[in-house]
Amino acid sequence: MSNRLPDDYFGASVVGPRHRAEGKPNEDSWLGARGAFGTLVVVSDGMGSRREARRGAQMACRAVLDAVRSWHKAGGRDLDELLVRIEPVWCSLIAPSTARDCAATCLFALAHAYGQVHVAAIGDGLALLRTRHGLEWIVGPRSGGFANETAALGHSASWTSRSFPRAGGEVVVLATDGVADDLLPERIDGFVQWLMDDFAGMAPSQRWRALQRELKDWPTPHHTDDKTLVVLMQREAVLA
Amino acid sequence: MSKLKEFTASSARPLPVVLLADVSGSMSTNGKIDALNDAVQEMLESFGGEDDSRAEIHVSVVTFGKDGAKAHQPLAPAAKVQWTRMTAAGGTPMGAAFDAATGMIEDRAQIPSRAYRPTIILVSDGQPTDEWQVPLKRLLGAERASKAARFAMGIGDDADEAMLSAFLATPEARVYRAHEARQIKQFFRWVTMSVTQRSRSANPDSVIAAEPTDLDDFNF
Repeated sequence: MSNRLPDDYFGASVVGPRHRAEGKPNEDSWLGARGAFGTLVVVSDGMGSRREARRGAQMACRAVLDAVRSWHKAGGRDLDELLVRIEPVWCSLIAPSTARDCAATCLFALAHAYGQVHVAAIGDGLALLRTRHGLEWIVGPRSGGFANETAALGHSASWTSRSFPRAGGEVVVLATDGVADDLLPERIDGFVQWLMDDFAGMAPSQRWRALQRELKDWPTPHHTDDKTLVVLMQREAVLA
Repeated sequence: MSKLKEFTASSARPLPVVLLADVSGSMSTNGKIDALNDAVQEMLESFGGEDDSRAEIHVSVVTFGKDGAKAHQPLAPAAKVQWTRMTAAGGTPMGAAFDAATGMIEDRAQIPSRAYRPTIILVSDGQPTDEWQVPLKRLLGAERASKAARFAMGIGDDADEAMLSAFLATPEARVYRAHEARQIKQFFRWVTMSVTQRSRSANPDSVIAAEPTDLDDFNF
């Protein structure tokens, strides 16, 4: 069964030129974790105008992990049952601060021990899955509106989600809008392949440094945002 | 060299500015069209000279007059625009201009979703001569066009102030009035300042607009 193949993940997050100039910290956050539930990666972007955006993003990552653990422990398999658990956990983690002060996007991918890949998101950014059959967009490219308009946890937004049976070789890429908005949609396949070719095989510490360097040296002129990029992959995808 | 460049946009995020310019026959009197041409040219030069921007300012000029509403200047980076002066003749088909602006802003091929919120500037010295209520409703109700920052200037006493106010559609916004040609230039300098402030801002989506109570009191 394909779920016996080990999963791997890597990612990096850098403060953007805007926050660096203002002396502010990175308001993006990410998390990767393995456990009895499988392998989880989460990405969150704290809303820039909010007082505690950074904390909101950090707690969003932790809320997903806590919710996944309790959901799995309770024998959960249905993604919708997991999604309804996340926001209450996040609200309890940010208390006594309000959802308004901590508004943050939330994107995650779970390679579940029971043999499915779940991908879900509130807000903008990039969430896509590559299988042997091609790319599946879950979030992005931005479909409407303009830059910096997004939904967030705590604002009654609904999740965009998909579940896929694991067939082997899946790769999930998650990113905040600082990355997503500058990627060329027509070149996204090449981008994913570049991540696999140039990073997947590296040792973890070397990989983290290399990815950080790429995000810091982001090539789009006058880019401003914090940038976070995370990849979840089956080991088989590395060896293929 | 990193391959990342192959997968990312090679230009800054656009900050679109759409000017809806009345070029009806009445604009040819009292130096109004000349003043408008000079003001737009000055605005383009200011935008094109911005080298400290978070965003690349793109400009389109939609004229409405004898030939209906048309993109006199298609949307392009301000620095690359070769300005062709406008001439004034005919009626005031403002409804057609609203439809042209809505079409342009809703078109993701022209204004991608990575762009910052656009600015629409409406300048008129008269009253619409076509059906304008429905096109304006379309603009104000459109998914993307409704989010644009909007500025309006009425030139002379014949300008339809109620219509210009309906275009702004926000209680705090006001229609600027020009009673003489030089005030057209002042208005454009102020709009230019507002847009360039946005383009240099940490968050170009926030509209920073100093509110002059009277353009005559505003020294440039």
